[in-house]
Amino acid sequence: MPEQKALLNDFRWIMDVIQTIDVGLVLLDKDYKVRLWNSFMQNHSATTAEEVIGYSLFDLFPEIDEKWFRRKVQSVYVLKNSAFTTWEQRPYLFRFDNYRPITGKAEFMYQNSTFIPIQGLDGSTDSICVIIYDVTEQAVNNIEFEKVNTKLEYISRTDGLTSLLNRKTWEDSLEHEFARESRYHENCSLIMFDIDHFKNVNDNYGHPAGDEVIRQTADIVRQSIRKTDIAGRYGGEEYVILLPHTSIDSAYVLGERIRKKIAAKPAFYEGEVINYTVSLGIASFHESLKNPTHWIDVADKALYESKEAGRNNTHIYQYPETSSDA
Amino acid sequence: MSQQIVLSEDHRDCLQEISNVAMGQAGGHLARLLDAFVILSIPHVALLSPSEIAMAVQTVDNQNVSGVCQGFIGGGISGESMLLFNDTSFNDLAKLMGYEEEVSGTAEREVLIDATNILVGALLRGIAEQLDIEFSFGPPAILGQHQELDKLLSSKNVRWNQALVIEVGYQIENYDVQCDLLVVITERSLHYLLNKLNYLLD
Repeated sequence: MPEQKALLNDFRWIMDVIQTIDVGLVLLDKDYKVRLWNSFMQNHSATTAEEVIGYSLFDLFPEIDEKWFRRKVQSVYVLKNSAFTTWEQRPYLFRFDNYRPITGKAEFMYQNSTFIPIQGLDGSTDSICVIIYDVTEQAVNNIEFEKVNTKLEYISRTDGLTSLLNRKTWEDSLEHEFARESRYHENCSLIMFDIDHFKNVNDNYGHPAGDEVIRQTADIVRQSIRKTDIAGRYGGEEYVILLPHTSIDSAYVLGERIRKKIAAKPAFYEGEVINYTVSLGIASFHESLKNPTHWIDVADKALYESKEAGRNNTHIYQYPETSSDA
Repeated sequence: MSQQIVLSEDHRDCLQEISNVAMGQAGGHLARLLDAFVILSIPHVALLSPSEIAMAVQTVDNQNVSGVCQGFIGGGISGESMLLFNDTSFNDLAKLMGYEEEVSGTAEREVLIDATNILVGALLRGIAEQLDIEFSFGPPAILGQHQELDKLLSSKNVRWNQALVIEVGYQIENYDVQCDLLVVITERSLHYLLNKLNYLLD
């Protein structure tokens, strides 16, 4: 019987390889009963082959979304073609807890899996093999990378001192809003304001105190505006707020609220009480505006009027009533 | 520079025929799996340079396209398929694939990947069967949404001059799902393919 012996030998090493290979191998029949459960699966799930083989996968592992899994497997049977799922869509198929106390960085094993059709002796596909790859390392690195990227993006968009949008990013929003308004002619207002006699704050209390004033002003802006409003730090002590879907009257109400809050709330820095005020200019969107810069210019004109009128007040830019320049 | 590859009339016809047959089979399988009627265009077979592919791709509305790529290899023949979807049809695509839940960001990716795997697999399996080979497939990868394809196919990134491209358009009846599939087989494996074709032609 040397032939049979050779065959058995072949079978033995194939089984050896299947058992020890460092990926999970699961064979499922048409009723989703487990036919093969290799060492990787046994070790990570703390089960023996005897406990698993012959039982329904869904009874054994309730974490598997049965409907989804059946749909996936169905496509494998119909098309006789592999199917895939990666950790980015589903972190795992089987919930295996992290087993490495020192270098394991994730709570559980991230997995990619491949579903492949298996043909029976008659040539028809009668079972499928699921291959489970441990991709925790890759997934963790990727997630970290994404986090850093998100943080960098935040840093590049905001002003470091106030966490309001920086000028460049705010101007992008303005440009976007300008294009929208030019098209849809909805209400939209722009507030521009700056801190009165800011140079005096710096001269009398020092630059760190000036920074504190700038920061506190930003806090008040943040507390006063709505989620849809877009506030930015335009320059040193200059702020801008874009108010989509807001009439000039509502913008005035908001501007006055900010002005009064600031006038009523001094900044504190190292025991010093710093009283300060702001002057505001408001301009609504108007079809005579040529471009976003023009809009800023007219808001700035209104701001200048507030300064001229003695500071600590709010002015609205009045567009000329004639439309002769059209 | 490698030598220019020429596709003879016979080879082209043969490939066209193989693609047509595979397409027909794919249509049948897909109809059964998706329970919908799939309208397939006649495959277009041509030898193209990377820039020509970029141009072919650009004719699709470049603004709202999601692309998914999937590599395949087997029998000495290898390449990558690229499926280009219209963003507008996401909800329909999800419905077609049997997702009843709301389509969130991750589910959107899954729908794209599943659909690609199915549409690409159905066609390539038909081609492989006729050539008497079997392809292994890698997991599909989503190209950055709104990524510029001409950048991906620029000479800096691409290490080949010419590729055989099989292009097929899919439409699914009663669903707002439209996509284009490009199967790109590079010159490196082209002679294996031509050998297989010779065998079929004899």
